[in-house]
Amino acid sequence: MLRRLSENPLRLPHLSPYVPGPDDPAIFWFNSERKDILAEVERRVAAAHAKDRKALEVTLNEAAYHEIQRLERQRDAESKENLGYWRGLIRRIARMTDDEKRTALERTVHHMAKDVAGNFDPRVYQLSRKVVPKLLAGVMRPSDLPRELFGQGAPLIDELLRVEGCVEKLRSLSKHGALVYVPTHCSNLDSIVLAQALEKSHLSPVVYGAGKNLFSNPIISFFMHNLGAYRVDRRIKSALYKELLKTWSCVMIERGYHSLFFPGGTRSRSGLIENHLKLGLVGSAVEAFSENSVRGVARRVFFVPTTINYALVLEAESLVEDWLAEEGGARYIIEDDEFSRLDRWVAFFRKLSGQDTACVIRFGEPLDPFGNEVNDEGCSLAPEGQTIDPVSYTLRGDAPVLDHRRDAAYTRELGELLVERYRSETVIMSTQLVAHVLYRQLVAATPGLGIFARLRLRGEVSVPREELVRQIEVAREALRALGKRGEVRLSRTVSDATPDELLNRALSVWSGYHSRVAARDLGVEITAEDPTLLLYYQNRLVSFAEAIAPPELLEAAREIGQIGVKGGLR
Amino acid sequence: MRPVGILGAGAFGKGLARAARRAGNRVVLFSRFGQDLDDPGIEVVDDLAALAETTPIFIAVPSVFVAEVGCELGVHLDGRHLLVHVSRGLVGPDLRTLSRVLREVSPVRRVGALAGPLDAAGLAQGLPGGAIVGSAFPEVASAVRQAIGGQSLRIYESTDVRGVEIASAIVGLSAIAVGYARAVGAGPSALAVMVTRAMHEAAAVGQELGAERETFWGLAGLGDLVAATLGDGRPELAVGEALGRGENAASAAKAAGANVESLLLAGRMAEYAERVSISAPVTSTVARVIAGELDTELALGALMARSVGRE
Repeated sequence: MLRRLSENPLRLPHLSPYVPGPDDPAIFWFNSERKDILAEVERRVAAAHAKDRKALEVTLNEAAYHEIQRLERQRDAESKENLGYWRGLIRRIARMTDDEKRTALERTVHHMAKDVAGNFDPRVYQLSRKVVPKLLAGVMRPSDLPRELFGQGAPLIDELLRVEGCVEKLRSLSKHGALVYVPTHCSNLDSIVLAQALEKSHLSPVVYGAGKNLFSNPIISFFMHNLGAYRVDRRIKSALYKELLKTWSCVMIERGYHSLFFPGGTRSRSGLIENHLKLGLVGSAVEAFSENSVRGVARRVFFVPTTINYALVLEAESLVEDWLAEEGGARYIIEDDEFSRLDRWVAFFRKLSGQDTACVIRFGEPLDPFGNEVNDEGCSLAPEGQTIDPVSYTLRGDAPVLDHRRDAAYTRELGELLVERYRSETVIMSTQLVAHVLYRQLVAATPGLGIFARLRLRGEVSVPREELVRQIEVAREALRALGKRGEVRLSRTVSDATPDELLNRALSVWSGYHSRVAARDLGVEITAEDPTLLLYYQNRLVSFAEAIAPPELLEAAREIGQIGVKGGLR
Repeated sequence: MRPVGILGAGAFGKGLARAARRAGNRVVLFSRFGQDLDDPGIEVVDDLAALAETTPIFIAVPSVFVAEVGCELGVHLDGRHLLVHVSRGLVGPDLRTLSRVLREVSPVRRVGALAGPLDAAGLAQGLPGGAIVGSAFPEVASAVRQAIGGQSLRIYESTDVRGVEIASAIVGLSAIAVGYARAVGAGPSALAVMVTRAMHEAAAVGQELGAERETFWGLAGLGDLVAATLGDGRPELAVGEALGRGENAASAAKAAGANVESLLLAGRMAEYAERVSISAPVTSTVARVIAGELDTELALGALMARSVGRE
């Protein structure tokens, strides 16, 4: 029953059709277009794979092979239902006529598309915008739940979540085209806090691909499904499925639906700012613009580089261990991390509720698909400030054309630009700064030691509090200088608090939430208690390490700067 | 057919103009100082706006001027234009490639680099040869082929634009080393060791900068270096020979009679290699020779006295 509800989430009955108002966000139109969109996606995917006989056969074989592998591994109810179909298909392919193969392809694509497609119910949206922040805040501070539910005033979530950046411009751009938010990703909370940040900033809701694992809870599944999320099953490896996801995203953006995806792919295991992006969905947005240009539709696409910055990361311990295991050669997928445990959520939010800002979401300067900045009206701007027509990037001769190789090249270049923007739009939080300074002392105290050996030095290196505070001050000043040049951002706490307050704040945030203590306060000394956690939090500053190090710590900073570089974890 | 645009009327710019005419194209050549090429098919202009109606546009100016002219030209261009530079330079301490500079200072994204064993005289005279276009955009390579390619000038293509640019720059530097080594009496075996070593250095630095290693063993790297070693008369060889005779960098540059990008690049390249912990003995020796820090005997010793091991 639970599985049925998770896989086929409830939809509320419609007594009378909802007619969106002129000021409603684009996504309010989704349900009236849903059938059309599904049909269009299915048509494009099937057409792309049925171009010739050989391609068709390869596609079917590949899809069946991967599905059989997956279902044989899963051994669950889904396997029982579907394994027979795929085994039968792979046996029959060689004997099928071309028409039968095309029919099998269409059937497969239809089945996959139905599983992916989301729904949008304005009533669920209205309900969620009223209740979800209050419930979230209630989880954070249970004693205040009645006030949250029935009282007046700003919910607690607003105190904890700060939104910065080009909010006004985004509001204006949302009228001129599709906004594609491309944030950094380090927690499963990201999509929830980002949705809250959009709501708080009076920006339109977005459609996004949510991992199928998030649909395992029927209640979350109900909300996700009815709020425009489409389902992404990461276990399905076939090229056909990946193509379908990209086409879904492309068609949605073409039609002006504001979208969200995380170009880093999965959560950053290391805490490092993403520098290798998976560009499939970014490419789908670039192609959406080309498709519209060729059809003469003047709807634009704007990428919004966004950073999500936490003082405390819910799943930090599991993530960093996964990263280190992967670097050590034993890759495994986290099945049960802190995100799936309610007690961890409660502990997490209780810990955060004492802090002034726990999460900063920063919307960077929006870009057109070709990396140009845009003005408030959505016109693309050349470096010298003159407006240019983005359609010109799709021209061959004098006419716009579709060209996948060209668009792939644009996408790669855009990916490089996004990586640069992530770095300069990162907001440094107090825990990250303190972790960096302490970890740097640990590196300086253990020259030449390999990183894995260093991580075993639990509680063995201490730094006099006075010295640590001085180093925090020096690093903060250097970060301020970088900030003035627009190379990084500082949270309000990092910017304004005294170094002593910064240290105390970080120690207090860490203490009691993670199962291990990152750093221990011994009064006159601070001990690097858990180098692994310190490494995780300090990793946000890796690309700034050299720039903010005093001369006597430059060697240690250079070593830190190699983290994340190929072979950097020796 | 739109005419071919060329920005820069130095020897290479003029060579490109002749090659484009030979390929049956009209040419718009930008020169600030006026030129008479005695060809009605070559229109010499002094207004950058005139290049907006051409395709592709070759940027044939020294690397230090590329940002400035790219910026000035950029105000007349948009996304439809194709830019191709022919410089052997890399700029700044982080060795930025010129295709990247052009993308940063102009709205043009479809950018490429023309490299390989090409020289101005060969282009002008139509001698048989080949070149390579590095660009992520297939239409850039096609446009260059249409603009200057033909039976005697074979234009290959690579999507690894970064690799093509870095290989081309480092070959210039290696050519100085070749000229130098010859002048101080190195024989074919010593030259072979040095040239091979130089290519390994180039590939390692290139890889660090995001290029593909294979590119360095193609026309932009090894092919170009073979042409230099065989003595195709490029100015870098003359610079190396002058340095080998004991002249300083300024008089060596004067002796070459052309702009030699590698003189500016050597020091930055050596510093970069050291910063990222890449062993680059050929580069650092050339940099020290140019800086006047090594005399002839010591330099040859530095080039040859490396520890030996597996290739």
